[in-house]
Amino acid sequence: MQDEPLIFTSRGNLPIASLQYATRWEETPTYTKFVETYSLNGEVVRESAHVLGKKPLLSESIAQPM
Amino acid sequence: MANSQGISGAAKQAALSAIVDGKTLKAALFLASASRGPSDATYSTTGELAASGNYTAGGASVTNGNTAGLTSTTAYWTPSASITWSNLTSSGSFDAVMIYSTTDSNRNIGVFTFGAQSVTAGNFSLTMPTNDSSTGLVRFA
Repeated sequence: MQDEPLIFTSRGNLPIASLQYATRWEETPTYTKFVETYSLNGEVVRESAHVLGKKPLLSESIAQPM
Repeated sequence: MANSQGISGAAKQAALSAIVDGKTLKAALFLASASRGPSDATYSTTGELAASGNYTAGGASVTNGNTAGLTSTTAYWTPSASITWSNLTSSGSFDAVMIYSTTDSNRNIGVFTFGAQSVTAGNFSLTMPTNDSSTGLVRFA
């Protein structure tokens, strides 16, 4: 029996070959996001996202003139 | 050379250090419909992802191996590792993470937004920017 690569999904372990794989990127000044989805007959059964933070939280101090 | 006005870098570093150095930190995810933000003094469960699908209430632990740094007059700090959730199925679309200090009665350090996202039986990771005075996650300039 030949092993078939499986991937964990909302419907349990499914053969990767039976799924439709898609990716997309979101690029903004504050973050970059990579999203990958696996779909089965139009239903998203696995979706992962990876975010890279780019813009920090900035707190600017003020020395008030007397 | 003329005198100049401003808050010292040392003071900013000391302030940031008091907030993050050696603290136990966590990161909680919030639904896009929530209203979390910098006005929150402490962690709140309101609007947080439900404790289901491998999401634990309160969020994930934050690796805090960095201490507050200082370059010129800018203090900065960044978690020392990515924050990740594995085999996650989110209870809804989420777009924010709150990093808070359990050492300091769940003090809110900051809320970061990243665009609404759902995760289904997958992984979600937040990769930190470079820890320096230009890109550190938290900066006092």
